Amino acid sequence: MALPKRIIKETERLMAEPVKGISAVPHEDNLRYFDVTIDGPGQSPYEGGVFKLELFLPDDYPMTPPKIRFLTKIYHPNIDRLGRICLDVLKSNWSPALQIRTILLSIQALLGAPNPDDPLANDVAQKWKEDEKGAIETARQWTEQYAKP
Amino acid sequence: MKFGHRFKETLKKEGFPPDWVESAISYSQLKKCINRLTNELAELGLEPETLRKLLKHVEDYNAANRGDDDRPLEYLLSGEQDDGESEKKPESNQLFHPKLLFYVNESTGELDSAHLNEETRHKLQLLALETGMSNVRVVEEPQPTESDIPPSSPTSGIRRRAGYRTVEVPLTSDSEFFSRLAAELSGLEDLQEREEKRMHAEIEQLGRQVARLTDPDRRASRKIINTWREIFQVYVESGIFFGTTEVDHGGHDAETAAERFQRFASIVAEKGLVDRLKGSENLRALNRFMGINREILQGLRFGEINRTAMTKILKKFDKQSGLGVRSTFPRRIEYPEFSEHLAKAVCAEVHTQILSSVPQLDDYSCPMCMDIKWRPVRLRCEHTFCIRCLIVMQTNKQHYCPLCREKTVIDACSDNLDTELAAFLKKWFPQEVKQKQRYNEHMAGVDQYGEVYTDKCCVM
Ligand SMILES: [Zn+2]
Ligand SMILES: [Zn+2]
Repeated sequence: MALPKRIIKETERLMAEPVKGISAVPHEDNLRYFDVTIDGPGQSPYEGGVFKLELFLPDDYPMTPPKIRFLTKIYHPNIDRLGRICLDVLKSNWSPALQIRTILLSIQALLGAPNPDDPLANDVAQKWKEDEKGAIETARQWTEQYAKP
Repeated sequence: MKFGHRFKETLKKEGFPPDWVESAISYSQLKKCINRLTNELAELGLEPETLRKLLKHVEDYNAANRGDDDRPLEYLLSGEQDDGESEKKPESNQLFHPKLLFYVNESTGELDSAHLNEETRHKLQLLALETGMSNVRVVEEPQPTESDIPPSSPTSGIRRRAGYRTVEVPLTSDSEFFSRLAAELSGLEDLQEREEKRMHAEIEQLGRQVARLTDPDRRASRKIINTWREIFQVYVESGIFFGTTEVDHGGHDAETAAERFQRFASIVAEKGLVDRLKGSENLRALNRFMGINREILQGLRFGEINRTAMTKILKKFDKQSGLGVRSTFPRRIEYPEFSEHLAKAVCAEVHTQILSSVPQLDDYSCPMCMDIKWRPVRLRCEHTFCIRCLIVMQTNKQHYCPLCREKTVIDACSDNLDTELAAFLKKWFPQEVKQKQRYNEHMAGVDQYGEVYTDKCCVM
């Protein structure tokens, strides 16, 4: 099946006007599959890290949201061991008017503002609530260890 | 090169209209005022060094945010009107009565500060004691009761202090300086208003002309319409005066804008767009369009150099007189937002009056498939989509509008077809409409007969 106009347009714009701190490059042999990197936001324990993600646009995109997963290990209450992300706009709050660009921005924002009350990684969220300082320190160490370019 | 000279040269060289040049900040005149003021102060024994020392002391106090009760002196820009926040925007023709005041203890004759060195204090005391004899005069302040003293606010007019005399040093050149500057600023504001009106008319006229030249109903050729469309598209993408991307937003300075304009012009030339505009009327219109942009650029540049002139002259005022006025000045007189304001207003007009004459496809793309909104369906929430996306949403039981999340998708039917918009799209984008129509029909076939349909007629 030919690539829908929407995906072509989104890709073009991502290339022409990249978002600061975010890159998304489609695979040559599968234009629905993107290699993504997100820079850890300043003033967060992820600062200085570059996080790799994979993004896939399913056949019925944009009726269903893109599938996104962290490839780089990250210590975050809303991201589990397999890199899956707990973010409302990727699930129940998805709207076909949202785009790759907006979703990646939301993920970047999630790194800047972890939400331990809506956890995916239960153990991390627990730690975050009990000992925020310690959790942030761990997140920083993981960034140092796994996310350094 | 000295700024004054450079300023004069720029005003001469840039080809500004004569009435602009006349309205410019009179840097050299203001400089003369400052020289006279310095002489006045020197005659009173208040050399810049002394004043600076005193004001440094005042500043230290303000910085430390302690009560300002023993500030030895004040330089107020406008005594009468100086009641703080309520006077944020003074009348532009307001006269300025700057006051240099200091305080002397009535009983001891001590100057109201222990933080000055002996020499300075002595000098000021002498000045105060000479009251009435020389040109220093003493203002007798009525003795206020304790409760009358307002809670110390640094902007509140002439503060009254129990047991102190306020000594005012009469100066004339500073009034002259500020009155002159204020008058010039208000002159600049008037000029800006005039220019805005003039350009408004010019833009409106050009807008009508472009609309006529590109009207499909008047049999404008497709080639001409597309050429104008492309020119305007490049124009918008060039973001000459304002950035439109996430990284670059907000107004540009004259230098950036000039660069972008240059780039815009060269892209238009490279793409051979000028050659494609057949007929002298089209070319004339394009020239006018370029001319309007050049005028906006000039306005930006003019505003910038005047703003710089104002900053520089105030700096000079402080440096040579020692009166430390810069920190309080911006609240008293605002520099008219000549450049940005004019550029913003005029750019908005260029968009609404000229660019809108030739609709761009991007403004009529469906938020879901990003293709042209054909056939257009208007939901109850007023959001429009192409009919193909509506069908997809309905089959997938996506009941809510993707844009506002209102439950408006579910009850949309053929009544929601927007015939007016449909006619408009057909008029301006016949090619794209045809293509999308074919696509929609094809997809309807896929819906009906399944994916095999795709294999049979791969027309995409
Ligand atoms: Zn659509
Ligand atoms: Zn809506």
